[in-house]
Amino acid sequence: MTAMAWLWRALLAGFLVFMLGPILLVILFSFSSNALISFPIGDLTLDWYRALFRNVEFWSALKNSLIIALATGLISTAAGTMAAFALVKFRPAVSGALIGCLSLPVTLPPLLLAVALVVFYVRFLDLPLSLATVIGGHVLIAQPFVALIVLARMANFDYASIDAARDLGATRLQAFTKVVLPQIRAALIGAALIAMAISLDDFIIAVFTLGGGNTLSTFIWGKVRTTLDPSINAIACILLAFTISTTLVALKLTKYRG
Amino acid sequence: METGWRERLLFAPAGAILAGLFAVPLVALFVVSFWSVRSFALRPDFTFASYARVWTDYAGVFGFTLGLALTTAVICAVLGFIFAYGARFHAGRYADGLVLAVIVTLFGGYLVKVYAWKSILGADGIFNSALIGLGVIDQPLPWLIYTPGAVVLTLVHFQLPFSFLPIYASLRNVKTETIEAARDLGASAPQIVARIVLPQCRAGLVAAFAFAFLISAGDYVTPQFLGGPSTTMLGQFIAIEFSTRFNWPGGAAMSFALLAACLAIVGAVWLLVSKRRRT
Repeated sequence: MTAMAWLWRALLAGFLVFMLGPILLVILFSFSSNALISFPIGDLTLDWYRALFRNVEFWSALKNSLIIALATGLISTAAGTMAAFALVKFRPAVSGALIGCLSLPVTLPPLLLAVALVVFYVRFLDLPLSLATVIGGHVLIAQPFVALIVLARMANFDYASIDAARDLGATRLQAFTKVVLPQIRAALIGAALIAMAISLDDFIIAVFTLGGGNTLSTFIWGKVRTTLDPSINAIACILLAFTISTTLVALKLTKYRG
Repeated sequence: METGWRERLLFAPAGAILAGLFAVPLVALFVVSFWSVRSFALRPDFTFASYARVWTDYAGVFGFTLGLALTTAVICAVLGFIFAYGARFHAGRYADGLVLAVIVTLFGGYLVKVYAWKSILGADGIFNSALIGLGVIDQPLPWLIYTPGAVVLTLVHFQLPFSFLPIYASLRNVKTETIEAARDLGASAPQIVARIVLPQCRAGLVAAFAFAFLISAGDYVTPQFLGGPSTTMLGQFIAIEFSTRFNWPGGAAMSFALLAACLAIVGAVWLLVSKRRRT
């Protein structure tokens, strides 16, 4: 029994090392004077961050990424939440099928979505590629996550409180803003943050539909392809700081338990 | 409950986004796959030439891509099950922390992970420099990077959290009471796993497999960084047709051929798994 227990502990520890190790190495080496991820580690330094913060291209990539992420967060939260409110009212079979349809874009390789969007935007809509075209693709992959998070919150929602508000003379809008919204506010913020993390993390849709300029992820891609610039570790860390912190806050807000 | 116009209206924005930015573009891409290209200009047409070209020019890469994705998906499903099983039944009070760590890595930098493995496995990477520093080897090991193994390793690392979660979710529905009852009746640990645990997380396992398979089959960033010239996947050629060669019909035909092959394999796996339930 104890031997088995130790074996499982070792296995799970190995799993954690495998999952988190490479990410931790990137973080560690972003503070190292060593130009490459290799031993010996070298001295602690903030030089790569200083170099990065002097780089104009970095700031414009960061700005683009944040604009896209914020717009994706707002639009997908609005669309996903409205969809979730509709889905709770549909028959289970119908709402199950609709959730499946909404989730389809996430199950396909992003490359397929990206090239389909490019063909559609450029050839069929004659639309110039821009930040807006990236936002469209990101909303598409973020809205199913929002809908699922809000649906999970609605599963143990106290519907009697809406009826009570309506009986006491509240309009539908008042019932929504004064009764429903305060109860699901945390879940909505959490869903918006997850949507932003998805947007910031995406590279493939962004690189195909952006047109000109960079996002953080296409900026990293350009650097990895051309030079072995050690400031890549620093940008990677900034990107990780954004995606991981938004995910953590979102989990806290939606009270995700396992 | 009655579903009226109000619900339909509420669903409309999400439905419109899905139709306008997913269904219609996919149909457009499908239509373009039958078009032709003359001197870099697209021409509406109805020809199967692009599909024929996938078969004549890319059959090798196509098969290799499917094989590599299949390997990745099987490893993800097996490792995902082992770790989800461990987290569910053997992690005790650490279970929540483990699941949290997995979720944090979900959106934790797709590109960063690929880059991290390139740095770890590369000639100047952490493995080679550590082994040289320790005096174990004096030349970097050539087989660490630019091999199918390196691509599979990176894809597994990126996909594993997505495989772990659906399996863990279905394992949460397996009741410890059932397992204890089986044990009391004399079932061995392997018997319990094979006859009680596995049948109950079938859906989670297939979901984990299908997702890992589809996403790996369509990936092009990982083979570009870690595959080198000898290990190329179809996704790289699709990306090239769209970004530099401007042969959209070619790229579109490759995309749909790949998607059809993937869906056929996932369907076959699903049939295989659900057939076993009846016997």
